[in-house]
Amino acid sequence: MNRRELLLAASALPLVGLAGSASRAFAQGAPEVVIGVLYAMSGPSAQVGIDARHAFETAAEIINGSFDFDMPTAKAAGLQGLGGAKVRLVYADHQSDPQKGRAEAERLITQDKVTALIGCYQSAVSSTVSAVAERYGVPFLCADSSSPSLQRKKLKFFFRPAAQDEMFSAAMFDFFDAQKKKGKKIESVGLFYEDTIFGVDSSNVQRKLAAERGYKIAADIKYKSNSPSLSAEVQQLKSADPDVLMPSTYTTDAILLVKTMAELGYKPRNLVAQASGFSEQVTFDAVGDKLIGAISRASFSLDLAAKRPFIGKVNEMYKARSSRDLNDNSSRELMGLIILADAIDRAKATDGAKIRDALVATDIPGTRTIMPWARVHFNEEGQNPDASPVLLQYTGSKFVTIFPEDVAIAAAIWPMNG
Amino acid sequence: MTAQALIQVLASGLLMGLIYALIAVGLSLIFGLMDVVNFAHGEFLMIAMYATFGLVLWTTLDPIVVAPLVVGLMFCVGAFVYVAVVRYAMRTKANAGMVQIFSTFGLAILIQGGAQYFFTPDYRSIKTSWLGGHTLELGGIFLPWPQIYGGLISIAAFAALSLISRTDFGKALEATREDQGAVALVGIDRNKVFAIGWGLGAALVGLAGTVLAIFYYIHPQVGATFGTIAYVTVALGGFGSVFGALVAGVIVGLVEAITALILPPTMKAVGIFALYLAVVFFRPSGLFGKL
Repeated sequence: MNRRELLLAASALPLVGLAGSASRAFAQGAPEVVIGVLYAMSGPSAQVGIDARHAFETAAEIINGSFDFDMPTAKAAGLQGLGGAKVRLVYADHQSDPQKGRAEAERLITQDKVTALIGCYQSAVSSTVSAVAERYGVPFLCADSSSPSLQRKKLKFFFRPAAQDEMFSAAMFDFFDAQKKKGKKIESVGLFYEDTIFGVDSSNVQRKLAAERGYKIAADIKYKSNSPSLSAEVQQLKSADPDVLMPSTYTTDAILLVKTMAELGYKPRNLVAQASGFSEQVTFDAVGDKLIGAISRASFSLDLAAKRPFIGKVNEMYKARSSRDLNDNSSRELMGLIILADAIDRAKATDGAKIRDALVATDIPGTRTIMPWARVHFNEEGQNPDASPVLLQYTGSKFVTIFPEDVAIAAAIWPMNG
Repeated sequence: MTAQALIQVLASGLLMGLIYALIAVGLSLIFGLMDVVNFAHGEFLMIAMYATFGLVLWTTLDPIVVAPLVVGLMFCVGAFVYVAVVRYAMRTKANAGMVQIFSTFGLAILIQGGAQYFFTPDYRSIKTSWLGGHTLELGGIFLPWPQIYGGLISIAAFAALSLISRTDFGKALEATREDQGAVALVGIDRNKVFAIGWGLGAALVGLAGTVLAIFYYIHPQVGATFGTIAYVTVALGGFGSVFGALVAGVIVGLVEAITALILPPTMKAVGIFALYLAVVFFRPSGLFGKL
């Protein structure tokens, strides 16, 4: 066998493997629904992907097993609409890169023949992935990307059950208005955001809302993500000294920002974050002592478990895998997969168009989710308009819900650094 | 922006610049010795940061106390990489440059993957240390102690390097760099000198790692953040020039800080590379490189 023959033989091996696995699947005859999961499993945001994987595995356990939770797909084992079919997840690593995300989405659809896609955390990646899904007519459930621009493309196969940054930011400004009514001083805000679609979109919304509601923008700083140093940026924030600092950053920069602020003697009077890095446990493990009183928007609060005990049980299942509590991101990922599986169940088919119709027809009361949402249904842009966000405040040991008032369990500490 | 704020930004830039110089000098040293660019340089930094973190956790000593241990360890890592990888990459007769680039690049990917597998991609940081979180305030200018310490360590390392160049070993390094074949005639073992050179380069970036670990987050990809800065610093200062690395590191730190002030901060890397391209135009081999 010469070198060329060896290469040919080697390249044929995967084909043999594929044929083998295909025949195995047929032999067993067990129906299966394959869902493609797209997250960064390596690179600076890898931890988010790994936590997401635990969240999806927990969701798959709930869907495939039988649990006494008042949630869609929980009670019966497997998807009843498809004869008890089990959900199988195929993971792809997009490394936070929109181009890799596009290529991986295409691979999942054409090679792994996935029924639907779910992802992608980074809005920039969800943007390219949603375009691929649209082209192939495969539903894309956007679990945890929050850029409003994603839904503006009026895609037919894009569905987002969680809130986006317009809704989140509106909640923040509603909260400011409420604080002002109580006689607290809030005149200016400082925007600090990273330079990809997440940060830029978030700042656009916040800039617009600040103008509409009469808050002065004391600082408007777009910075380079994963910078080795943020000293100059923090100095500008310190000089501007806004009443509320509003960062939109991923985890690495959140840690560096807080450390640099402390080093340069800058204590923001208040900090209200667009979650992301500020909802990650690692950030609080690293610099939590400097974040007492920090507020972050969220889609999730463990406080809800007091009202709906099954949330606590779901959290325990997740914690057994990941050794951390569900947070803003992992809760949306877990719930996202259940909403998607529920639609596939109702569609009684793995055909993209039928699942899309079922997603359009989705109507789940908020009480049947683990989220503080009022209801799950999708408007013509594929956005759930009733995914009510909450604001959480870090007390030094845990997060407590402080807004909106109907779900709040404590009054906000304001200002954070008096 | 007040004068005070401007001084603050320049002071922060200067301190970071000295640390950049310390990160870059090992890279420059190895290149000067044997014309090999080590693309795993940022990963050496990452290993040193994890080693510092691990030792601090294990011994509960301060990062400053464990620093000599980490530096020693990194010396071994550097020498081992030469003996196990680079030595073989240098044997090729054709496309030697490419083979060296890809072997160290491959090594970088391997180290990153290994770190992610063994240490998980969680962000670590050393919570309490003598210097961590402490700041020196001088008339409204805040100088973080970890960065002051880093700057001083950097200056000390450069002073030590200039002393080494006067010793017999320094002369052997210089001779090997001039003519690899001729040194064999006078009884200098080329491989030994190269292995020590790699060890020294890794030890220097290791020293930078022990400083960074005090105030920066530790993560498998952290090397990439500083790696790019290290390459442009070496290129700006002149490949192989130790003094050039010092000057260029400070320039990079200052330019970065000033760019972030004048232009939107997202453009700050642009300032550094624009400066580098301007230098290429006038002095292609860098500020202090041999023309």
